[in-house]
Amino acid sequence: MATYVLRRLIQAVPILIGISVISFLIIQLAPGDPTDRFRSGRVSPETIANLIRMYGLDKPLPEQFISWFTTFWTFPWNVAAWGYSFVDGRPVVEKIFDRIPFTLELMVTSLIVTMIVSIPLGVLAAVRQYSWADKIITTMATIGYALPSFVLGILLLYIFSIKLNLFPSFGRQSLGQEGNLPDLMWHLFLPVCALAIQQIAAWSRYMRSSMLEVLQQDYVRTARAKGLPGSKVLYKHALKNALLPVITLLGLSLPSLLAGAAITESIFSWPGLGYLAVQSVTTNDFPTILAIVMMGGMMVILGNLLADVLYGLVDPRIKY
Amino acid sequence: MERIETTIAPRVGTAASGGEQDEVDLIPVRTYWQLVRQRFLAHRLAVIALFTMSTLVALALIVPTLTGEAYAKTSLSQSMLPPSLAHPLGTNQIGQDMFLRLMKGLQTSLIIGFMSVGIIGLIGVTLGSISGFYGGKIDNLIMRFVDVVLSLPVFFVILMIVAVLGKGSAAVVIIAIGLTGWTLACRLVRAEFLKLREADFVQAGRALGASSRRIISRHILPASLAPVVVAATLGIADSVVAEASLSFLGFGISPPEASLGNLLKNFDEDLQVRPWLLIPPAVTIVLVVLSASFLGDGLRDALDPRQRVESK
Repeated sequence: MATYVLRRLIQAVPILIGISVISFLIIQLAPGDPTDRFRSGRVSPETIANLIRMYGLDKPLPEQFISWFTTFWTFPWNVAAWGYSFVDGRPVVEKIFDRIPFTLELMVTSLIVTMIVSIPLGVLAAVRQYSWADKIITTMATIGYALPSFVLGILLLYIFSIKLNLFPSFGRQSLGQEGNLPDLMWHLFLPVCALAIQQIAAWSRYMRSSMLEVLQQDYVRTARAKGLPGSKVLYKHALKNALLPVITLLGLSLPSLLAGAAITESIFSWPGLGYLAVQSVTTNDFPTILAIVMMGGMMVILGNLLADVLYGLVDPRIKY
Repeated sequence: MERIETTIAPRVGTAASGGEQDEVDLIPVRTYWQLVRQRFLAHRLAVIALFTMSTLVALALIVPTLTGEAYAKTSLSQSMLPPSLAHPLGTNQIGQDMFLRLMKGLQTSLIIGFMSVGIIGLIGVTLGSISGFYGGKIDNLIMRFVDVVLSLPVFFVILMIVAVLGKGSAAVVIIAIGLTGWTLACRLVRAEFLKLREADFVQAGRALGASSRRIISRHILPASLAPVVVAATLGIADSVVAEASLSFLGFGISPPEASLGNLLKNFDEDLQVRPWLLIPPAVTIVLVVLSASFLGDGLRDALDPRQRVESK
């Protein structure tokens, strides 16, 4: 097990390098050069030249990449590893690590809600295939899948916050309520719904087809034939096996979850990574955007790794 | 799959020839395209989707062409009007007609969607055919590249590209969506190429001395376009959503131009007083996405030559 995880971690290294190269190249496409923002009448050309030499901007691109890349990975102990924000001069490492807990809070809650809701829905739709329940679930899933997260966010905001006035329309905590859990849940409700509904749509469709496939297997028929009660066949034999492929979804849904988080966080002013990304694009804060993309890449890779390991843990057919 | 086969409609292909119901159809002579049409028409939702999509495309082509620049015309005396006969969807704060803006926005969004899909197809087909045809080291290299792109947090990368190349430009939006969305098309084309590479007609082409380039472009590619068409149709949905999201956040198409996303941009203030401004663009986006994905599903079933329509 440990060697498998290690091997997978090593396999992730070239992908991380690939992501870094792509992100680095995209940032190079920015017009002008990073010293442009210091250029003004009051800064002498010599100072600019010194800055260029100091930051190694006169070196060839591959060399620049290596020095950036090696510095980047010192972030656990080096607060300057990701540079300083163009906007407020704060170290990017700090800025990002301030936001990560809030994004995780939103994403993890949404994932839990997604699982709790979509797995029973998918099972129900599969067990009662072509029934009214199945038709309603499938239709809702199709519509939910087609609703872009910002449309969904606006819709929820309008109905539950403005019309019914049940939930707050922005922020993570009410003023003076920091650390108050019920208040946090109250603020979390709408963003989590906005983020979870799309995932629920995708997951329940997936769960349905996975369950349908398992229900046709010989061992399910055998279980029925030997007289096991229906519920036991369903939960002990079918569900356990139908859940396996869903684990892979955990890793696969991360990019869309991150995209959804960026939009949902912007609509509900949730102080997470996605909102920071949108703010940084607005203010052309390149060091922050670059670090967020790298951070997102790491999250996707780790998510996939986690899904693979989980799959291995629950599926006895997989050997390391 | 099973659902399709149980709900086959009456055979359209032969019904068209008319008056020969009694003829015993021992060897149904149907061309590939007749079969495709038959299978597609049997897919009720896909037919509805085709109709919806055609209507949307027609509206997006005709209305803005007929009305010209009227969608950008402001009129302060007519601001914030609720829906009426003169303005079927009302007007916004600066008195622009929301119906005309919606149609113009639909046009912009569809153009961006189609063009992004063009880039996706171009990159996906090129890399996929090279990868599948040559195999070996080249294939390995391209597939590792696909792995990297699949691990990218796509939306953040799109945001970064837009930040770097410039906000508010349609071309940048198209490039950003195109550069990040080609992996599915690439993998589908590669799979087809791997399958067809050893097919008899390809061997025959080789035996006749055709160059690799000719075999790829004249023999394998036309035979493997079905998955590309499906991926492209589904890609339209994703691209339209990506564009709308970007414009909604203020990084895509910005006023006075209109796009389905930027019509929803002022949701904060609109929600309080003029919710009617938000419903039409939202419904239109959902219609585009739904019809593109049903169309894609229908085409997937229809274009697959291995899937036969049962005669009885």
